[in-house]
Amino acid sequence: MATVLEPYIYEGGIYKHGLLLELLEDLGGYLVQKIPAATEITLVMLIPDKDIRLMEDLSTKLLGKLYKSPLTGTEIAVVSPTLAYHHLPHSACDVAEFLRRGGCNTNMIGLARGMGRRVALSGDYERKLINEHDIALFSFGTFRDCIINKKPKLFEGIEVPVVVTGAPDIKTEDIPNADMYIGGIGRISHRLRKGSELDGLDNMNAKVSELIDSMREEIAKDPLAVLPARAMKEITDQIPEISTVLTPAPITLQLDGLRVKLPYDEFQERIGNIEFDEGPILSEMARIMPSKMKNYILIKIQTKSEVSFGI
Amino acid sequence: MSTLDTFVVESTISAEADHYKQIVSDAITDLVLAQSIEHIKVVIKPEDTLFQMAIVLRSGLSPVKVTDFAEVGVGTFGKEEVVIDIDNEAYLPQLLENLWTICGRINVHQPERKTVSVSCENPLEHISEIEEIVIEDPQRTLHSRLVDMAIRATPEGFRVRYHSLNGNHFIFVATEDIMKNEWIKEAHKMLAEFTGGESHGNSA
Repeated sequence: MATVLEPYIYEGGIYKHGLLLELLEDLGGYLVQKIPAATEITLVMLIPDKDIRLMEDLSTKLLGKLYKSPLTGTEIAVVSPTLAYHHLPHSACDVAEFLRRGGCNTNMIGLARGMGRRVALSGDYERKLINEHDIALFSFGTFRDCIINKKPKLFEGIEVPVVVTGAPDIKTEDIPNADMYIGGIGRISHRLRKGSELDGLDNMNAKVSELIDSMREEIAKDPLAVLPARAMKEITDQIPEISTVLTPAPITLQLDGLRVKLPYDEFQERIGNIEFDEGPILSEMARIMPSKMKNYILIKIQTKSEVSFGI
Repeated sequence: MSTLDTFVVESTISAEADHYKQIVSDAITDLVLAQSIEHIKVVIKPEDTLFQMAIVLRSGLSPVKVTDFAEVGVGTFGKEEVVIDIDNEAYLPQLLENLWTICGRINVHQPERKTVSVSCENPLEHISEIEEIVIEDPQRTLHSRLVDMAIRATPEGFRVRYHSLNGNHFIFVATEDIMKNEWIKEAHKMLAEFTGGESHGNSA
């Protein structure tokens, strides 16, 4: 039976954290992201479920904290109708920050002409960019009328699940084309610190996690030919240039693929030829495309039913 | 926000008005306008894409002089200098800039963090002159901050705007459709509620 991987985050001192990484490798888990900050380190990991106890014991010994992060391995687009500087700080910034605490990678997308009611629009490029993510989370404002009647036109052409946040209490089914509505987070021009605001963000993380779980279940019915985390490990091992990339997440995991932050023209062939121990190469199991984000590489892994094998 | 005599935000749904009040309140706080505004009323009707705001400013914001934040005296015996002991460091850059212009940069020294000395002949004669230097005129910056606040508080897409600034009376109307005269009249009426009918704005 295949190993089930559970997403976890470790927070602790940088001292001896290498022991944790060695144990993770021995157990067959994957390191998704490593974020050092002065003397502290945050490790985002996928750990085999049967061996979590071992990792917990070692974390306790190192005086660190290991907790579950249900959003690990996902990339979410936090879309705001505007990211105008005179409205800073945007509540979308806190929304993105809170989602990251849940383990996911977020990209903030401010639409060029998304503000207003009648005049709100989204561009073709913006829609394609949003569609590269696992989920699109639209951060809206205060008014029920705008959210129900005017803003849903921004969802046209969005093929990934759409989550909407706003201030009023609205039923999801009242908003056309939205897959989930989360209330209590509207346009707020200060950093979200009050109890009620933080409750709203906690609620958001819980609901987005539920949505991710249901998407994972859907994928599990027809599993991917290779785990994105496994592909990530092979890319890290076989393409040494990835270690020179300075972005916080040089390889970003998605539910059904990954984004590699290397130039497409230069690396797409080498990435396609990544070899796996079992025999196949990556291009036999995945579609390797240029990403709409900068000049990056987008990899979408095919399902077992499409390629008729899996590793 | 206790210094505002009137702070009203109205909308079609009262819960949304309360929420929007927080946005306006944040804009006022960020731009340090709470002391300068006496009355403010905001009406927002999302279904008509309409934002109206009427503000009455407090009059008589006096300019900040050196005596307001510092003590001016003579230096130690035998030294020909005026010594300025500062209580509020916020005005220090403007104070130095003024002193450099008036007394010359070579004559202005800062021996300690909160002490500035000015070398001059007959220091006793110069004390009153330095005490009366106007360091900041809040009225001058107020109007630009007020306009900034109005733009921050307005929904981003409402780009068709009318404003009127007449003395201490400010009116701001914004929409994304064609501006209607009745909306501007309504805003003037909102202002008249505060002033007792003295409002007569200039369109811009």
